Amino acid sequence: MSPKTADRVASAVFWAMGGITASALLFIVVQIFWRGLATALSPSFFLGKPRAFEEGGGVLPMLVSSVYLAAWTLIIAVPVSLGAAIYLAEFARKGSRAAGAVRFCADSLASLPSIVFGLFGMTFFAAYLGWGTCLLAGACTLALLNLPVLMRSAEESMRAVPAAYREASLGLGAGRWTTVRQVVIPSAMPGILAGTVLTVGRVLGESASLIYVMMLVTRKVPSFSPFSNAAPLASNIWYTQTEAIIPDYRRVVDGGAALLLLLVLAVNLAARALGKAYSKRKGVKTADARA
Amino acid sequence: MPELEHKMRIEGLCLYYNGFKALEDISMKVYCRRITALIGPSGCGKSSLLRCLNRMNDLVEGARVEGVLELDGEDIHSACRDLTALRRRVGMVFQKPNPFPMSVFDNVAYGPRLTGRKSRGELEEIVERSLRRAALWDEVKDKLRQSALALSGGQQQRLCIARVLAVQPEVILLDEPCSALDPISTQRIEDLLAELKSSYTIVIVTHNMQQAARVSDYTAFLTIENQGEPGRLIEYGETEDIFTRPRDQRTENYITGRFG
Repeated sequence: MSPKTADRVASAVFWAMGGITASALLFIVVQIFWRGLATALSPSFFLGKPRAFEEGGGVLPMLVSSVYLAAWTLIIAVPVSLGAAIYLAEFARKGSRAAGAVRFCADSLASLPSIVFGLFGMTFFAAYLGWGTCLLAGACTLALLNLPVLMRSAEESMRAVPAAYREASLGLGAGRWTTVRQVVIPSAMPGILAGTVLTVGRVLGESASLIYVMMLVTRKVPSFSPFSNAAPLASNIWYTQTEAIIPDYRRVVDGGAALLLLLVLAVNLAARALGKAYSKRKGVKTADARA
Repeated sequence: MPELEHKMRIEGLCLYYNGFKALEDISMKVYCRRITALIGPSGCGKSSLLRCLNRMNDLVEGARVEGVLELDGEDIHSACRDLTALRRRVGMVFQKPNPFPMSVFDNVAYGPRLTGRKSRGELEEIVERSLRRAALWDEVKDKLRQSALALSGGQQQRLCIARVLAVQPEVILLDEPCSALDPISTQRIEDLLAELKSSYTIVIVTHNMQQAARVSDYTAFLTIENQGEPGRLIEYGETEDIFTRPRDQRTENYITGRFG
């Protein structure tokens, strides 16, 4: 085969692989919307309460649960992961053993299956601390689950901030912490935000780790109290499909899936708009801040 | 002629990076309100020496300094020495323009904001004064709110100088400040330095001998004899003497372009 033909074949093969990836995603999205978009967009569904033995139930309590759960998870996980990332990227010495240990733990944590987190959450938060199945137990479990990814993405974003910025700041007589706060974190913000959005997506879609620490169905819209009962949408979809005791369970499942997809999409768009507004306020293009 | 008042005194300074000795036995004085140029071939340690003067080497892991380094007669390495206060008195401009990814205004206001709350009016005054001194005001007065990264390289470097001036330092260190700039921008920076020397003590590292000859009053020539050996100060004196009547053969070889 001549080099030219080889190149052509290779580019065709890789193009096809890219095509497969894209079309798989497209197929799933189209499939979910095809089956469930009409249901998801009907007010009686997303504003309705679930019914047990008759048709026409909605998922409002579960939808609210999912949003609350994501919020509580971020409230717990973002400060901790950001703090750890600041330590790793800015304060730890090169080759520090403590930093190595933190990274090792995070990487190990990241490779655990989510059901293990669920079991831990059940024994520790729900049983040992006596919280029972509630929003906070779920949020703590998911915070643990997402901590490594959040921390690593924040660390990488901070490492990508040019050393010249730090030197300039320190050279002007700023302390290390001031430099991190005023220069490093603002410059790393687009990356930190991107990692956070990914986490929101994972939290909204997580079900396995939550089946032991939260309710699977609830008729009451949860209050914002962290100890209120809540059943996130994703776990509810799993439960509704498995038990199939509602006559129109397929409608609820398909509608729930489409609603979840819309929610994730909305979060992504909102984060994008937020990032743009942030860069504008700082007088900087996002691309420049990353350079 | 009585000896000039000196701002900084370096005596028997050695610099180590872990086991590696980068500078050996450097002794010189930096005179008040004069421009001192550090010249020498690449790797001779001139930038390292400059970075000793406001302890930027502290950022490098394994860096260690021996010897005396005084600012106004006070050892800058004494344990009680406040590092941030030192860096406010001894400001630094880097080789590559490095404005923060913020607006022009916020870049200049960064230093003043570090030292306590200041009113909007005070900050505006400091920013304008600093930009004027850095000969940049007329070019940026209408774009103070725009990103500093949108400025040209030469403007960015003058912005970095303005940013240093805003903290009212006594000494300004410049590490090859023109190496990333075109000749016209270089000329403007040189004119600026000539103006600034009436109020500041300036130390500039340059690989450009014409630049050293043009702008400086004193010149220090550093070199390494062989790869792996520490940088040594070969000759230090008034710029005119160094360039017209060098006492050391190595200085002469370097300035006449025989090596380096």
